[in-house]
Amino acid sequence: MKSLTLEHASFWYPATEAPALRDVSLEVAQGEIVALVGALGAGASTLLLVAADLAPRVTGGRLTGAVARRDRSGIVLPTPWTQASGMAFTVWDEVAFGPANLGWPAHEIARQVDRALEQLELVPLASRDPATLSGGELQRVIIAAILAMDPGLLLFDEPATELDAAGAQMVWRLMRRLAGEGKAILLATSALDAVPDVADRVVWLEDGAVRAVGAPDLLADVAVCEAGLGTSVATVWRASGLPGPYPPTVAHAVRRWR
Amino acid sequence: MIPALCFDGVTFSYGAVPALEQLSFSIAPGERVALLGRNGAGKSTVVRLVAGIQQPRDGTVWVGDWDTRDCVPEQLAWRVGSLFQHADQQLFAPTVRDDVSFGPRALGVGVREVERRTDHALEDLDLTAHAAHHPYDLPPALRKLAALAGALALEPALLVLDEPTAGLDRALSARVIRALLERSAGGVALLVVTHDLTFAAEALDRGLVLDRGRLECDEPLAGLLGAGPRLEPLGLSPPPVAALSAALDLPDRPVRAADAARALARVARGKGAP
Repeated sequence: MKSLTLEHASFWYPATEAPALRDVSLEVAQGEIVALVGALGAGASTLLLVAADLAPRVTGGRLTGAVARRDRSGIVLPTPWTQASGMAFTVWDEVAFGPANLGWPAHEIARQVDRALEQLELVPLASRDPATLSGGELQRVIIAAILAMDPGLLLFDEPATELDAAGAQMVWRLMRRLAGEGKAILLATSALDAVPDVADRVVWLEDGAVRAVGAPDLLADVAVCEAGLGTSVATVWRASGLPGPYPPTVAHAVRRWR
Repeated sequence: MIPALCFDGVTFSYGAVPALEQLSFSIAPGERVALLGRNGAGKSTVVRLVAGIQQPRDGTVWVGDWDTRDCVPEQLAWRVGSLFQHADQQLFAPTVRDDVSFGPRALGVGVREVERRTDHALEDLDLTAHAAHHPYDLPPALRKLAALAGALALEPALLVLDEPTAGLDRALSARVIRALLERSAGGVALLVVTHDLTFAAEALDRGLVLDRGRLECDEPLAGLLGAGPRLEPLGLSPPPVAALSAALDLPDRPVRAADAARALARVARGKGAP
């Protein structure tokens, strides 16, 4: 079942002539993780804002084409510290802010908050003041706060940039688990090396348009590597002058090497 | 030689939450140092202490021969350029150019010199085309670059940078690396907080690892990143190039992409390409 469908979507920010998205058609199914990759400014963040119904509703600007959402969406912005309510004195209350605003009964709020805190390994921080958290801890709190609203469509913009290695791993694993529960996930990330283990499909954006769509080994494709969007392993392989196809991950490289 | 930066037994806490415990290290001019460790290890606190926006509870932070306790942040700006974790909070001017030039203007250097430093910093980070834009019209990763340009434009002896490559694509990361290498070749000391070990391997050469506010490790980065099993207890995981070198047993276990590509080509020639 499709959770999100874009048909020929183009989007212009206010007072700009060039569209930030050009004629993008894309579907994300329930249970699927789609990764958006591209150079900075290629349109991945804009696509997430459109998918979240924040563009043009909040950003202003103009959207053409059609966007259909089957599920309620939740978005984690690349600036998660701007998403904190600023009205909570504990991490638990911060995570409860969204569900409370959905008007859920108290027991349901508590159930969702406790679950989200567990999922993000935040239980030990539940009574901390959010203002005393490190950047990475706060990023996890914001992810938990979005999950606690139980959206069917999850939109993640650079969700791991402030996380340490264990935190990033935890978030990538959690995404796979959420997809297993039927969530639809659209992810914009510059962490190209994580993508092969996380995503089901990769969408390569260039200048606001879809340049290619494929399986995660798209990130070892010659043209993708030339555009600077290959994984580290594929990029090293290519630079060494060894023939393609390039291996996207260390595991692939080891198999090729034998 | 006086170190560019010296932490001498520094202890700091946020209220009852301890952040740094008896932290001591020093950085020489021209050194390129990565400050690594888990979330909450105290890395960003180090940045705030160097910038003088927080003061140690115990011990001393020396910037050159200045005790940060005796300096206000504006004074430290003569010697330290800082990039904070949430760079949004350090941008305030109506254009990127105004923001980048604010530092040197505030230092009171001449108009021509302000122009030169601003142009240089903008060019180095490929921001010239964005100079007239409002910083908040840029995506967050470019805002961070604009804040970094502001730190570079101070032309300080020490750059203290918190996650300078967060969210950047590879081309812009490469610009950051080039700009930092150029500054360090001119004697500028670098202390860079990062979780991006691929970037750290390319740009930096000494690794400090904090764990719960204590210094757990201080050694050459190449050896540290190549030492897979030692990394996990420190909250780090080997960057893909180091993992590739180890998995294929490449000679000297290179951790930088160009070195690994050369080693791979050499070994492949030796064994008949796979």
